[in-house]
Amino acid sequence: MSREEEIKKGLFDHTLVGEADEVVELTQEGIDLGMDPLDILFGALIPSLQEVGRLFEIGEYFVPEMLVAARAMQGAMALLRPLLVDKGAEPIGKVVMLTVKGDVHDIGKNLCNIMLEGEGFDIVDLGVNVKPEEVVAAVQEHQPQLLGFSAFLTTTMPFFKSNLAALSEAGLRDSVKVMVGGAPVTPEYADSVGADGFAPDASAAVRLAKKLMVDMGYDVSMGGDDSEGASALTTAVQAVEELMVKSGKHDE
Amino acid sequence: MEQMTSKQRFLAGLYGDPVDRPPAASIVSVITYELMDITGAHFPHANIEPEPMATLAAGAHEVMGFDSVMPIFSIAQEATALGCQVDWSDTDMMPNPTDSPWADRDVEIKLPDGFPDSFLEDKYVKCAIDAIRLLKQHFGDEVMVLGKVMGPWTLSYHCYNTQEFLFDTIMDPDRVRKSLETLAPVPLAYAAAQIEAGADAIVWADHATGDLVRNTMYRDYLLPHHQELIPQVEAPVILHCCGKTLDRVQYFSEAGFTCYHFESANPPDEMVEKAAGKMKLTGNVNNPVTLYARGPDEARAEAQAAIDAGVDIIAPECAVPLQAPVANLQAIVQTCKDNRHQ
Repeated sequence: MSREEEIKKGLFDHTLVGEADEVVELTQEGIDLGMDPLDILFGALIPSLQEVGRLFEIGEYFVPEMLVAARAMQGAMALLRPLLVDKGAEPIGKVVMLTVKGDVHDIGKNLCNIMLEGEGFDIVDLGVNVKPEEVVAAVQEHQPQLLGFSAFLTTTMPFFKSNLAALSEAGLRDSVKVMVGGAPVTPEYADSVGADGFAPDASAAVRLAKKLMVDMGYDVSMGGDDSEGASALTTAVQAVEELMVKSGKHDE
Repeated sequence: MEQMTSKQRFLAGLYGDPVDRPPAASIVSVITYELMDITGAHFPHANIEPEPMATLAAGAHEVMGFDSVMPIFSIAQEATALGCQVDWSDTDMMPNPTDSPWADRDVEIKLPDGFPDSFLEDKYVKCAIDAIRLLKQHFGDEVMVLGKVMGPWTLSYHCYNTQEFLFDTIMDPDRVRKSLETLAPVPLAYAAAQIEAGADAIVWADHATGDLVRNTMYRDYLLPHHQELIPQVEAPVILHCCGKTLDRVQYFSEAGFTCYHFESANPPDEMVEKAAGKMKLTGNVNNPVTLYARGPDEARAEAQAAIDAGVDIIAPECAVPLQAPVANLQAIVQTCKDNRHQ
């Protein structure tokens, strides 16, 4: 195994368990050796984050493990960012994300943002405690293909329905597909309120978002040429940094 | 069997004694907009003034028919007294803490000066204690009056910031332990004041849930605190922990709780099997789908399933959505009445 391959394996392994110092050291070594930053990102860091998502889905990982992995990745991003040359590729779709009115829980939403942005989506994060009228205003302003509602409380889940009703009243319901999620949310509940899809976690949110985009006739293939990769890197960097900022400030 | 009072029935369910019919309970919150209209006690007053708080809580028995009443609808009373920001003004949602004083790592983790006196004199804390006193005066020994406190894990979410706290369970265990140790006296002081005011039992909410953390986090961080704290509460203690918890019920049962209030994410028969002989159970009618979005027939079916599984006290799973119809909650009570023992 070459040193470059060892570095990528090390980045994958250390990110997986949230060892931030090791991730930074290996990223710097890879840069010093002349490794392609996109290879570091897509050959090691993003796959590791995807593995974190998979482990969460099967119940091997919990929220703390996801948080430490995301923060370990942040150190690598700080080094990779100056090397990025954004060639201006278009994102594969735009998603407006929010936690519903009355609810200030945003960890799950933030993790979804990271995964979605890593996959090339443009994310507009409205934050927490978002009122139905603010949802309508955001759809009018940003014109997303997708909307993501998060609720962590059984007392706030009914605001999914309030948001959807507000969109219908504004004549906007058919302009977007709506994804919902959150710890107490079930597929049955998502159906009952008229959502277009349910995702139990961040990895599933990515799959759902891509499926809904395909259903709407969009091309969601990405990767391959440098411009698309560079765009994904930009959004991944921004998403991780956003999470880290928020984690220090809690609910904005 | 002779008809029991609501309090007799609830206590019998709590201790595994014979009951005339399964108890039906308001454990966390059964407050809805419709109940506010019926009782004339609305948010925000019912969250910040003792009289409307007690009036609304009483509706759980007088309108819905539950065997217990519980006036602390939100999770925010302690948080304000500990320095968190809470917006109490909204008329149509539960108050929630929105700012965490210990999220800044330069801030020392400590209780406010003058604890516990300053804590117990806080406007919102005192409001809940006074509401319990009013409920006790109103119901005497006819109806079970429940108090509610947040345990040190949930208070850490408020004071420390949920995301930072969860991150530090791995990256800075000492700071997490410091937070838990610092906050441990808070529920004890609050529970003692509620019991003095007339609470017959205490609901202890501590959300080390399977939706967020692995079961060993509960075992290693929180169980030792529970084992020390719960025996000091001079009333039966009902643990409330949301979400999937089958993998940690064994640990809950080692903590000294009299009863565990569980959610619909856990099938009642599996929960009964796990808890059998170790602690009593209350729950677990689904809130968002059944009580909010469906009708009385579905509520009856779920309550019956809990009874058939052997759940000791039948209740909604968590704080009921404010939009839920009163008829759905009354259906839970009616199901218990229909199961009257001969």
